[in-house]
Amino acid sequence: MGKQATGIGRRAFLAGGLVALAAPMPLSAAPLAKVRELGTLRVAVYKHNRPWSWAEPDNSTNLRGIDVDLAGAIARTLGVKLDIEEFTAGDDMATDLRNAVWRGGLLGFKPADIMMHVPFDRQLMVENDQCAILAPYYRESFAAACGPEQNDCDVPAPQYRGRRMAAAVATIPDIYLLSSFGGTLRSSVTHFNTGHDAVLALGTGQADVAVATKAEVEAAIFDMKNPAIHPRKRALEAMMSPGWDIGMAVKENSRSLGDAVEGIIGKMSADGQMKAIFGAYGVEWRPALSA
Amino acid sequence: MKGRISRYVASFAALSIAAATPLLAAGPTSQDLLNDANTPGDVLTYGMGPQAQRFSTLAKVNVDNVKNMVPAFAASLGGEKQRGQEAQPLVYDGTIYVTGSYSRVFAFDARTGEKKWEYSARLPDGIMPCCDVVNRGAAIHGDKIIFATLDAHLIALNRHTGKVIWNKTTSDYQAGYSATAAPLIVKDMVITGNSGGEFGIIGEVQARNVDTGELIWSRPTIEGNMGTLKGQPNGMTGKLNASWPGDMYKTGGGATWLGGTYDPDTNLIFFGTGNPGPWNSHLRPGDNLYTSSTLAIDPDTGVIKWHYQTTPHDGWDFDGVNEFIPFDATVNGKAMKLGAKADRNGYFYVLDRTNGKLVNASKFVMQTTWANGINLKTGRPNYTEDGRPGAPSGTEKGKVVFSSPSFLGGKNWMPMAYSKDTGLFYVPSNDWGMDIWNEPIAYKKGSAYLGAGFTIKPIAEDHIGALRAMDPKTGKIVWEYKNKAPLWGGVLTTAGNLVFTGTPEGYLKAFNAKTGEELWKFNTGSGVVGSPITWEQDGEQYVAVMSGWGGAVPLWGGEVAKTFKEISQGGSLWVFKLPKG
Repeated sequence: MGKQATGIGRRAFLAGGLVALAAPMPLSAAPLAKVRELGTLRVAVYKHNRPWSWAEPDNSTNLRGIDVDLAGAIARTLGVKLDIEEFTAGDDMATDLRNAVWRGGLLGFKPADIMMHVPFDRQLMVENDQCAILAPYYRESFAAACGPEQNDCDVPAPQYRGRRMAAAVATIPDIYLLSSFGGTLRSSVTHFNTGHDAVLALGTGQADVAVATKAEVEAAIFDMKNPAIHPRKRALEAMMSPGWDIGMAVKENSRSLGDAVEGIIGKMSADGQMKAIFGAYGVEWRPALSA
Repeated sequence: MKGRISRYVASFAALSIAAATPLLAAGPTSQDLLNDANTPGDVLTYGMGPQAQRFSTLAKVNVDNVKNMVPAFAASLGGEKQRGQEAQPLVYDGTIYVTGSYSRVFAFDARTGEKKWEYSARLPDGIMPCCDVVNRGAAIHGDKIIFATLDAHLIALNRHTGKVIWNKTTSDYQAGYSATAAPLIVKDMVITGNSGGEFGIIGEVQARNVDTGELIWSRPTIEGNMGTLKGQPNGMTGKLNASWPGDMYKTGGGATWLGGTYDPDTNLIFFGTGNPGPWNSHLRPGDNLYTSSTLAIDPDTGVIKWHYQTTPHDGWDFDGVNEFIPFDATVNGKAMKLGAKADRNGYFYVLDRTNGKLVNASKFVMQTTWANGINLKTGRPNYTEDGRPGAPSGTEKGKVVFSSPSFLGGKNWMPMAYSKDTGLFYVPSNDWGMDIWNEPIAYKKGSAYLGAGFTIKPIAEDHIGALRAMDPKTGKIVWEYKNKAPLWGGVLTTAGNLVFTGTPEGYLKAFNAKTGEELWKFNTGSGVVGSPITWEQDGEQYVAVMSGWGGAVPLWGGEVAKTFKEISQGGSLWVFKLPKG
């Protein structure tokens, strides 16, 4: 019954959107009130994005991860049911925001009330004005970890030369290893589908040094429970990114929902819930710089 | 006329042998498909013949009377899926078979346009195709219509009922694979390529049993990867690490997303391959074989016989999937087996199709900033200094480089045609460039990412699209027709001295094949991005094309979008003929 009601509500909402396109005028529907009325919060998370969101087993509907748990906590606090769905990442964030939040997928993926894991970045906000990016909840950056063959993980990165390197394909860690230090590490890089997989390769003896996001590094080390796998403590020399904040996106006209979510995240930050959710995956919660 | 009589005789002979089963009910054989270019009463293959010359021997509609041509009927694909109709129809046994966007197939009565059946593939919600939801056509064999779906399945339908006979997964859509091209059928094998929008895929050509869909052989397009034949390893493509560093060959790109052509003379199938990954060429020093190339493959074994790389070390996202069309001509007094390809990179290549050696290469667009000609001795481009987009690095926005053609190419997917009568190729091309720069603060999948920013822009005041008649022997442009909006549809040429193509403005147009004079046009009500066909039925010549704006062009905004902002979406089959009497 609840599902059916959601469908009708969403169609009505889409019709409203079309009217707005034809003759620009403010929408009267209050999204937060609508979510409460329907009793369901629809949240979109990335597919294959461990430790943030992934299906276990793969291709099942059993979703796990930090973003999944956060979405669950938000829905609980709002007193509504969680309707969470994975989507495949596109070539850029504009594609993801379009598919997941403000338009929906061309093949029927229904737009969500909230999309998790959106970089909280001014330029991104300006370029994607059909949605609002808000509620920054974590400070992410890139990091490295080493396996038993590379005892001293804190040497200057060029000294990793000759070691077997691991990174997720087409990420900054990948570009970093392929292009930095005159390309001297390039020919010993092995590519994986995700950063989490790249770090796991340290435990299976496939690699000696892995570069990934800090959350991926910490979660994979936590998952392996192998004392020989250890994180690098120093920053990586000449890393292209100093780090970024991660937030969420809602439709541009859903600011009332966004405000409520910001309030919930603020409360969870203060009362230790954020720390606990991240900690369950072995990740140290780092508040966003702009929070 | 002679061909007609001998065909009748042949049919009679076949009928008397297999008296129990009527010939048409059994359906076309692989031999019929090979002979498609010589049987104007049907259209059995994508390309109107395995060589895909898109030339018809019909001349009932010709330069003198085409101005009188009128619609015979139109048929809507219906529903809300009015988007990107890039298909070429097939015609057989009084039925028109056509694929629609969103992985659909339709059978229409070829005389009335009445719908016989419709098949709509069930697609998973989760697929997010990079470049619209198009499909370019089906294949026909025996009692089957075979087509590929956006979630990378190959499906055989009963051509009488539209019911599924077999349905095979060709690759994993969850890993980013998709399929939009029309399958090629050679020697009772369905031969397909693959496509994928995400990084990390590698190109492949597969051959399957047409009756069962079972895999016979597979050939990866990137060196270092293993091919298979009947479930056994069948040799590595190229040589490991010869032109790729480290393990990058495992995710090197080279998708075969546009399908292939077949030449019975040399017994070779030809597939173009896509661009290498990652996009930033500075990360992968080397030629990156066999990306942005044409591959000649033995259909019996799946072994690569030769390759020709049009853009070695591609750093512009040109890719090299464009169709390779076999043709014969006399060059310097010598009769040669040739093939031609108009590449995304703006050059028109003529190769010796027996060995892949370059015979001739010439520019078919206004401007190529990346290279100044192709060296006929080495077969390699003369790269322009500073013509390659730089390596993104650091946190500063990189300098803006202007590059032409844009990454959508001097010619994109839309197939050209070759007239045996005029000896000319008719190339649907676009004159556009792009500003490209490093984007230090970009994001992908929620993570920081070093991307490239770009803006596609016109380079001429009066046009982007240009239909060009190229003489393959001289490389000269004989005539051109300029179009305001980018051209995105295929071309057809006929013995009636005609060339047909569609425009985003909604017209199907007919031109004099020798002079380029525009002789006829009809507005179909939405942009035409499909490929026209012609056939003979009940003594009359028919012309058909799909109408329905879409494809990759509308996905990119900017200056270019102004040329098509008034175009409405659609989804219809249009059929034309001369008035009776």
